Amino acid sequence: MSEETTPTKTLDVCGKICPYPDMNTMTTLKKMTKGEVLEVLLDYPMSVERIPRNLKKQGHKLISVEQIDGPNHRMLIEAFGLK
Amino acid sequence: MTTAILTGLIVGIIFGFIMQRGRFCMNSAIRDTVLLQDYTLLKSVGIAILIEMFGFGLMNAAGWIEPSAKPLFGWANFVGSFIFGIGMVLAGGCASGITYRVGEGMMGALAAVIGLATTGTLTAMGFLKPIMVALRPAEATSPTLASVFGMEYWVLALIISIVAGAIWYFAARNKEDDALVVDSSASLNDRVFKKGWNWLVTGIGIGIIGMISLPISAAAGRNYPLGITAGWIQWVKVVILNTEGQAVNWIAAMVLGIVIGAFIAALIAGEFKFRFPKWGMIGQAFLGGLVMGFGAVTSGGCNVTHILSGIPLLSIGSFLAAISIALGAWATAYFMFVRPNK
Repeated sequence: MSEETTPTKTLDVCGKICPYPDMNTMTTLKKMTKGEVLEVLLDYPMSVERIPRNLKKQGHKLISVEQIDGPNHRMLIEAFGLK
Repeated sequence: MTTAILTGLIVGIIFGFIMQRGRFCMNSAIRDTVLLQDYTLLKSVGIAILIEMFGFGLMNAAGWIEPSAKPLFGWANFVGSFIFGIGMVLAGGCASGITYRVGEGMMGALAAVIGLATTGTLTAMGFLKPIMVALRPAEATSPTLASVFGMEYWVLALIISIVAGAIWYFAARNKEDDALVVDSSASLNDRVFKKGWNWLVTGIGIGIIGMISLPISAAAGRNYPLGITAGWIQWVKVVILNTEGQAVNWIAAMVLGIVIGAFIAALIAGEFKFRFPKWGMIGQAFLGGLVMGFGAVTSGGCNVTHILSGIPLLSIGSFLAAISIALGAWATAYFMFVRPNK
């Protein structure tokens, strides 16, 4: 299912310290229009759990979280369209 | 290896292991309330504090421990801890958070630890010391809520922890909490070693290790539960300054244990990775560490000493420090993250 989703935009927050992975994801999503898909590449375990938890509050939809290897994850999020 | 070093290492390894599994960080716990309206980790901190308070109360009633609160330093608590709160948001982690993340391979956290140890030492015994001395009263006492009310520590500690725990339980019992839903598709092994722990398990784990740390540390001649900053300062004294008469002690072994414990947990979970942020971010973390080190020593302790250990001991100085840490962190989070994104 998620394999077929083509991201509109890719955000790489690997290596960043807390809370930049979350904040960068949230601010990027804010600038996207409804239905656009953001791909987030991240390697910070706390954010892998925290971003999905907080997406809903803004109305965004988590499509998938996929572990690439070790702490490296790929997340697909559908923007709610706050712009 | 002396017994103090051995028990310090063991407590640190368990503490570090739990923090890595639970992603336990008090910077996130405090900051995320204003940043993301996320209270998950704050609940872990709350549970841990209640368990420690209850445990210290019981152990004191049994005569196993004699609780010792940190002194009330007034302005030094307020200013030092406010500055510490600013520093931890800059550094991307509290004193315990940056320490365990070194074990996960995060170089930003290592930069912050080096900063913390540097100014921590300079404030304890270097050129920053006069500022700390000027902020502290000439003579300080160590009042606790119990001493203020003229009660035995254990009586009040048991009353507060049981009443607060009961109120929390009844307020939350009918509320659904997604975070506590057990993923039954995962094996127990995976839930413990591969996936992150939920806030309740994490809080209970931290509370238990914080509770047993007091008698263990007291047996090593240091009558206080968990701390962080003093341990890193001790390493600077022993390894870098070669200070005469200074050796690796319980708290120094404990902070090293945290790094080892988090490393083991991260390795098992497959989460260990050397992570190098851009130099600007490393610089920001280092600066945050520098700010934290000064704040922690001025206030007589970091977030672990005051919030995780001092509040369960009902120390008035620690309550003041805890409020100031939160105010400093909230103000900084607002100016760094909330306002620019409005």
